[in-house]
Parts: sequence; structure tokens; C-alpha cells
Amino acid sequence: MLRITGMLVLGLLVAACSQQPALDFTARSYQGAMPADLSGSWERDYSRGDDVNGVLAGLFQQLNRKAAQRIPSDPRMGTAQATLSQREASSLVALARLAELITRPDILTISQNSYEISIARKDDFSMLCEFYDGVAKGTTSDYGAEVCGWDGDQLVSHLILPDGLIVIHRFTLSPNKKNMRVTTTVSSSTARVPFTLNRFYMRFEPPSSEFNCIETLSMKRVCSTGEIVP
Amino acid sequence: MTRATCTLGLLLMCLPLQRAAAELAISIVVFDPGVPTDLSLHRDLQVFPRIRRIEALFLPFVLRETLAETSEWGAVRVVPEPDIAAELLISGTVVRSDGESLELQLLAVDASGRVWLDKNYSGMAPLSYEQSDVDSGLSGYQKLYDEIAEDLLIARSNLDDKALTDIVEISLLRYANQLAPTAFGDYLTNAPDGTFRINRLPAENDPKFERIKRVRGVEYVMTDAIDEKFKELHAEIASTYDLWREYRRKYAQYRIEEAKWLQNSKTDAPRGSFEAMQNRYDNYKRDRIAAQEQEKWAAGFDNEVGPTIMRMESRVAELDGWVEQNYEEWSRLLEEIFALASGLAE
Repeated sequence: MLRITGMLVLGLLVAACSQQPALDFTARSYQGAMPADLSGSWERDYSRGDDVNGVLAGLFQQLNRKAAQRIPSDPRMGTAQATLSQREASSLVALARLAELITRPDILTISQNSYEISIARKDDFSMLCEFYDGVAKGTTSDYGAEVCGWDGDQLVSHLILPDGLIVIHRFTLSPNKKNMRVTTTVSSSTARVPFTLNRFYMRFEPPSSEFNCIETLSMKRVCSTGEIVP
Repeated sequence: MTRATCTLGLLLMCLPLQRAAAELAISIVVFDPGVPTDLSLHRDLQVFPRIRRIEALFLPFVLRETLAETSEWGAVRVVPEPDIAAELLISGTVVRSDGESLELQLLAVDASGRVWLDKNYSGMAPLSYEQSDVDSGLSGYQKLYDEIAEDLLIARSNLDDKALTDIVEISLLRYANQLAPTAFGDYLTNAPDGTFRINRLPAENDPKFERIKRVRGVEYVMTDAIDEKFKELHAEIASTYDLWREYRRKYAQYRIEEAKWLQNSKTDAPRGSFEAMQNRYDNYKRDRIAAQEQEKWAAGFDNEVGPTIMRMESRVAELDGWVEQNYEEWSRLLEEIFALASGLAE
């Protein structure tokens, strides 16, 4: 029952935002094994990826151009109206700042089994994608809803927050599986267009420690140079 | 030494006929963990399957201790599998266990098939760790266990001595029938409603019946050894379990306080501003981190008590396997002996 309710809530939330093309919902189910294996440790490739200011500037230019095209060629109208309004510009900057904040983690640790993908990020919550019998199951709370899907072999995570705020992460593996692109799109009902940032990550092997550690309840993290049997 | 612990030399003293009729022996079977088969419900229902499995092993012992302490019953044992010939068999399912509250579905049926209890019990944990029964290892829900003990006494008070004596006799006859159906197949009638009625009783000092009693005595010794393993498990993990329960209780309280805090922390920042957006994102982030922290505790608990559980399960399986293996052998031997004694062997 809870599952159905959760799905319904997510469905409604997504439907409510469906006027925005960036929010087209991806496949919520798949057959057989998961379309891609993202598991492993990933570190940010700073040599690639978008610069927030650059993307923002490009977006302003593009929107201004569009605004200008909409203005009829009437010499009596000033040029001021052919640019973005102050409010629109502020909303866009806010989206850019949020996108920058969300994509800040430079290490992603992804664990994946037959029905679940967990994406751990430093200083942020772990994104969780659950699929039961190949069907995506979302997480809902009073503060938002989260659900994943597959678009071909791209994993897409949707986070739906109050006030029409939506965060979409799209994870794409390179053909050699050594690199991963994470495209993060932040949109809001207060902004006319979404803001998208691309980040690139490289697969890496975490350095092996001479200690073996496990988490325990009463002693917290316990480490030993020998084998620890959990 | 508990009432349940008998050595071979004291076997006869432990047999049912040496005690008052009301002092029925109770077998509490390891609980059903109550884990939904639909994996997708586990997070929503706050069910940690591996911890539920530990609770299913752990909680019956708490009930056993409560019942034993009343001194109202014969031997009270925790058993890994249902003993259908038990004088009084208690089985249960963990319906809910979230640190703040515990809900058990309990069924108590005597050897004659009479249902004593079929009821849901729920209890709230004490407000703080210090107020709980941690020292006694009773995990903070003592009122719940006391209520079960009370209900069993009430159920027993509805039966007269004859009915209670019948239960003891039926228990032994069901055991005899299981072990040597040829010799003891017609002493009981099994009614369509699942209840048992005595047709006739073996003669006093019937050598066949005496043998059955001796075999059951040996089996009880092994059952007591198994019960001892549950006791050891309880002693080893009680404090960690209480810590886990305390974490979960605090987590539940945290959620309530967090909800209040979030209500009061609504930002005045205008909609569409970065501050407003960050506030929405951070609220969700806080909520998820808290939930994920709880899963980390669950893993920590499992890591900590896992080796103990594995050791205990392996020893119980060994003992249980020994009983099962010998039970078949006893059954075969007894059938042969009884057949020879009756002159039925060809």
C-alpha cells in the first residue's frame, strides 16, 4: 500500500512539473539486469566539465537573444525590454548557485547490487535508487521525493522539492567505463529555464589501508591490522 | 541452576508427573521475525531484516525469563523449532519493533490443542535509557512481558486440575505416538478441530511408556542445552541490543523534534531566491542524512552481534541435529523393541 502511495505521490509531483521539457520522466522499469554498472569510486576530473559562470553567461546571452527576437522591430521600444527582467536573472543565478553547491562533492562512492544503487557524496546525503523486480521505487518524505529511472544505459535521479524545485542528475558511463559524466539540471517554477552543469569523474582505486575497519554500534569504528570478521 | 536445567541423574525429578498439575512445562519457539517478503516495504516500514532475525532469537528468551521468574510453571524453555508435543507451546511474531514500541503477536496452545492466547501485545519503551530495565537485560518492555505472563495465569486459572493433568498426559502420549506410533497410536483421538482427547491411558509402570519417558528425559537434557545457548546469546548481546533500541528511540524522538524545528525554520527569503532554494534542499538533505545514519547504526549492530549469532546458531543447529538424528534412531529402536515385546515381529 505504502509503495503504491509513494509511486502515486511521485507520479503526481512529476506530472505537476511535466510542462518543463527537461523533466520528461525516464523509464521507471527495466527487464533483467540493470542497464549499467556504476559501482566504484569516482573522483572529479577538474580538467573537464562546465564552468558555472561560463554556463550562466551563455544562458543569459541565449535568453537575451530570444527576448530580443520576440520584441517587434518598433524603434519606439527601448532596448531595456529586450533583455531578461531582474527577477528572471536573479532566479537563474539562484539556480546556478544551487547547482554549483549540489555538484561540489569531488568524490562519489557508488555501490550497486541487483536492486539498489547508492551514491555516497561527501557532505551530502547519499542518493538512493531502488528497483524491485526492475521497477523503480521512490523515497518520499515531508521534505521532498526522490526517484530514479533508466534512460537507456543512463541512470537518472529526480529529486522533487517544494516550491517546484527539481534536481535531476544523469549519470553516463564512458564506453571504456573509466569515466563518468554527471549532468545536473536544476529547475524551479520561478525560473523560465533550467540550469544544467556537467561534471566529469574518473574511476579510481582507493588506496588500500593496512587497517581493516568495521562500524560497530557500541565502539563506533573498529580497526585492526588483522582480518575483521563482521 | 534453573528449573529447566536437569542432569541425567535428575531426569526422573524433571519428568512431568513429579510436579503439580498446574506447573506445565512451557516451550517458547523462536519468534517469526515478521519481515515482509516484499523487499520494497522494508525501508518504509523501518524494518531491518537482519536485526529482526536477531530479535526473533533474542526476545523469546526475555519472555522465558519473565515466566520462569513467576515460579508458576514447570521448565520454561526456548526451542528452535515448534515442539508439537509441548505441554504449552508459545509461538510469536514480531509485528513492530522500532525502539519506541514493540508489538508481538502471540499464540499459546496446549498439548490438547486448546488455545490459551491468540493476541497482539504492544508496549512502549521507557522514556529514557536510564529508566529501562537494562540491568536486568529485559530490554525495556517488561510491562509487555508481564502482561503476557498475567494472561497465561488467567488462562490457566480457567482450567481445573483434571484438565491440567490431561494436558500433561496428552503431551506425553503425543510424544509417545510420534516416537512409536505402532504402540501408542490409539491412545488419543484427534478431533477435526485439531484438539486431542485421551481414549485410554497406559497402565501404571507400563515398561513401554517408561521407556518413552526416559527417551523424552534425554531429549529434554538436549533441549536444555539448546535453551542454555539462547541464554548465552541473551547475556552476550543484551547490552548491544539495548543500545540499538536506545538509538532507535532517540531517532524517533529526533524525527519529531526535527519536524517541529523545520516548521519553525521556514525561511523568509523570497520564493525563487537562492536562500529559499537552499533551505528546501537542506531540509531534504537533513532528513535523508538522519535516515541514512539510522541504517548505519543497523549495520553497526549487525556487525557487532553477527559473530555471536553465527556461533550460537551453529551450536544450536548442532544440538538440534543431534536430537533429530537420535530421535529417528530411538523411534526405530523403540518400534522394534515394542514389536518384539508384543510378539508381532515376524
